[in-house]
Amino acid sequence: MAPKPKELKADFWKTKDFKISIGDIVSEEGIESTDESSVVMGPTQKPNVTDLRSWDMKLLERYPPFYSPFCDMCCLCTYGKCDLLNKRGACGIDAETQQARTILLACCIGSAAHSGHARHLVEYLIDKKGEDFPIDLGMDIDIEAPIMRTLIGKKPKVLGDLKEALDYLEEQMVHLLSACHTGQEGNSKDFESKALHAGLMDNLGKEVGDIAQIVALDLPKGDPEAPLVELGVGTIDREKPVILCIGHNVAPGAGIMDYLEDQDLEDDLEVCGICCAAIDITRYNHNAKIVGPISKQLKFIRSGVADVIVVDEQCIRTDVLEEAKKNNAAVIATTDKMCLGLPDKTNEDADKIVSELINKQIDGALILDPDKVGEVATKVAMRTSGERSKVQVLPDMDEVVELAKKCTECEWCDRVCPNSLPMMDAVVSTAEGDISKMEELYNNDVCYSCGRCEQECPRDIPIISMMAKIGETDLENQKYNVRAGRGPVQDVEVRRVGAPIVLGDIPGVIAFVGCTNYPDGGEEVAKMAEEFLERNYIVVTTGCGAMTLGEYRDEEGNTLYERYSGSFDAKGLVNMGSCVSNAHIPGVAIKIANIFAKKPLEGNFEEIADYILNRVGACGVAWGAYSQKAAAIATGVNRWGIPVVVGPQASKYRRLFLGRTDKEDSWRINDLRKHTEIAGEPAPEHLLYAAETIGEATVMTAKLCIRPNDTSKGRQLKLNHYIDLHKKYFGTLPNDIYKFVRVEKDIPITYKRDVMQILEENNWEPRELPQEPSLMDMKGD
Amino acid sequence: MNERVIPWQPTVIAGPKQALLVTPETAKMMMKKAKRPLLVIGPLAKEEPLLTHSIEIAEKWDLPVVTTADTFKIFSERNVETKSYGTVEILNLLKDPEWKGVRGEGQHDLVIFIGGIYYMASQGLSTLKHFAPHLKTLTLCKYFHSNADASFPNMNDEEWSKYLEKMKLN
Ligand code: SF4
Ligand code: SF4
Ligand code: SF4
Repeated sequence: MAPKPKELKADFWKTKDFKISIGDIVSEEGIESTDESSVVMGPTQKPNVTDLRSWDMKLLERYPPFYSPFCDMCCLCTYGKCDLLNKRGACGIDAETQQARTILLACCIGSAAHSGHARHLVEYLIDKKGEDFPIDLGMDIDIEAPIMRTLIGKKPKVLGDLKEALDYLEEQMVHLLSACHTGQEGNSKDFESKALHAGLMDNLGKEVGDIAQIVALDLPKGDPEAPLVELGVGTIDREKPVILCIGHNVAPGAGIMDYLEDQDLEDDLEVCGICCAAIDITRYNHNAKIVGPISKQLKFIRSGVADVIVVDEQCIRTDVLEEAKKNNAAVIATTDKMCLGLPDKTNEDADKIVSELINKQIDGALILDPDKVGEVATKVAMRTSGERSKVQVLPDMDEVVELAKKCTECEWCDRVCPNSLPMMDAVVSTAEGDISKMEELYNNDVCYSCGRCEQECPRDIPIISMMAKIGETDLENQKYNVRAGRGPVQDVEVRRVGAPIVLGDIPGVIAFVGCTNYPDGGEEVAKMAEEFLERNYIVVTTGCGAMTLGEYRDEEGNTLYERYSGSFDAKGLVNMGSCVSNAHIPGVAIKIANIFAKKPLEGNFEEIADYILNRVGACGVAWGAYSQKAAAIATGVNRWGIPVVVGPQASKYRRLFLGRTDKEDSWRINDLRKHTEIAGEPAPEHLLYAAETIGEATVMTAKLCIRPNDTSKGRQLKLNHYIDLHKKYFGTLPNDIYKFVRVEKDIPITYKRDVMQILEENNWEPRELPQEPSLMDMKGD
Repeated sequence: MNERVIPWQPTVIAGPKQALLVTPETAKMMMKKAKRPLLVIGPLAKEEPLLTHSIEIAEKWDLPVVTTADTFKIFSERNVETKSYGTVEILNLLKDPEWKGVRGEGQHDLVIFIGGIYYMASQGLSTLKHFAPHLKTLTLCKYFHSNADASFPNMNDEEWSKYLEKMKLN
């Protein structure tokens, strides 16, 4: 049963200062729910594992899981190993269910990584600013936590309020993880429902984390004109002491920036970062620099530029200590997630730690106090930099050529490369004095420096160090920029574009997210973003994806951030921030449902997700997804009804959600306005789709922005882009175009004749346009 | 010889079942025996010499052809009729025993792959290995694909080219 829609006044969100009288809200002293005096809580406040199961089953019915086992076996308990190929394991599980179980596990890991991070941030910031520090995102953002409002049913007013959301999701996560135990769930769709729940918890945790850091550290609050910050290996001044932060938690980096400011040392040191820590530190202080995405990590550490490496959590190379030792850099670990076997120096006097590090009495230090990290990292960098600069860390070019000559052309580097890159050819050419092939792999991070080739090389050729050296020949050109992460979309922007998005006049919102595990480097992703920007789509981005878009310059030398505005509007390129800022992507879709369509949020997940699925033409693109976090992020946004296109590597996640256009019944919808079920259309056709090439991904992304709610004018625009792009990459009109034409008015004028011909060939008949397309209240619900 | 049957990416090894190593002769036997074979051509065939090889093999055996990714374009420019599907879309159809096949004559009983990105093809072959017991898979790539039912071994370009030439003979 769908919750009854409630009457809302136009000034619904404007009403302030009210008292709540529902459920457990009254008993929570000091926490008020929303700005409404009589909010009717929807049916699913703080949904438990099974509370949204009926919605999940609707999604899974339409988009059944498609599995590609990475392994035939299961080795999770001592009954095993069990070979699950066409047979069941000793516990009774079959291959399909086992895949779903593994997916749940991955989503739990990813979700826990974000939520653990959020918990760290909230506790740290409460400690710094107090429980009562207000959550105020400024005049233009009233709906500051749309996910939390929907799931928890409350508006967080002060930092302390965020703990309730964390308490809730941590409880859910325990149940979800426990379902992975041997002899628990035995049905793949139920495992998937739990994975969707884990993804939803991921989305909630990220929202909590980002809101906490935005308000407490005064990061940009939805500012479309957030400044451009420097990006690229070539922007780092190697003459200065350099501190490199790797990971995702802003706290240690902020501690460093604060210390430099206090000591008036800002101009004397370089603070730079890799991965999302870099994005968040530059949101905090625009003087910090971004080296680049995760794919720069090993190359940059090897280059020896960093005097001190500060690691926090997630996506850090676990051999960072060994790598740092090779070039005499000091390592400081800063969170419980990664202690690296280092001695805990949190309560030690800062100068004593500095001296122990400099004198090599310790390999590195674990310091769980961000302020102390700031002092120690700065002092160590300043005192060691001069001496380190004399140490040659990379082989010189003559040595590079000599090392390459050791190659016996065994081909193992190519064979173990996850991306099947032609590393052997690059090494062989280098031996002949031609470095161009190695440069091709270095540029655009075509090789994402995972180091597997080097590990495998029977001749112990230091392939990555050689590539890092070759990359240094062109440092001048490795200077780019990125707009500092602005955080959420403002309510005023949603008011402006809500209608054009829902009616289809803005052809779609496309989110470029995820890691740089690209099949062919970053440039094709940036060009794909450019393609959609030119076509009036709204492009949003976060994390390593945001950096990738910044690493591309057009012929005039301008980056995409210099060419397109940061507004959430047609042709806007919106960098929302780091991985945790991904929460603002479903967040903006939720805001559209609420601000534009006046759908109530509190406890109303299903109605909101149903609205997004059927009416908000948004699509994610995670061309280089690699981690468990990416699995959780995608699964979470899928549950909100947002489809995602992933790259070929993502087939290794083992599971996609694919629709079948030939199964017409699966596309039926309910027109809520008329209370009748009608034939629908495959829009969006898939929920999670792995493309093999960027051309395929581009066309699919345009197609996945189509929604049943499009007006004919909007549909014309969307089909026009779909056809244009299909012609560009496939050479012809798409032969499934007839499935997306409901009435003749939907046909783009420029392609009218060709489309009519396809319609005739397929015995096309006009269909009814739904007024309020929905999957709710269907027969059998 | 062993080298030739370790999967090209060695970590693709999924379990005890490994593909049968086949020569062109055995591959052709499989094709002759099949009632409704299908050739699935991936994006590596956008370039020569694989483009011509795959066109000629398809013609020789009168195979219905599916092109994956955006491979369709170059084939249609060469006036070769193919059906275009995403890799995951065609796999999704192939694993459904009720699907009627690209010619509407019934589900295929042999699917021959060539030109797919190695790791993605490997995942797709795993899908069919597990969930499409109604059909057999054969790969004609330069690499040993352990997740297929039958695969060519790892080869160098020259040897592979000879294998593919043999595929064009009776
Ligand atoms: S969990 Fe089940 S399938 Fe896995 S090893 Fe144990 S008995 Fe075998
Ligand atoms: S570092 Fe990794 S991605 Fe790069 S060539 Fe080596 S194995 Fe491939
Ligand atoms: S693994 Fe080493 S020796 Fe073998 S081809 Fe690659 S670089 Fe040459």
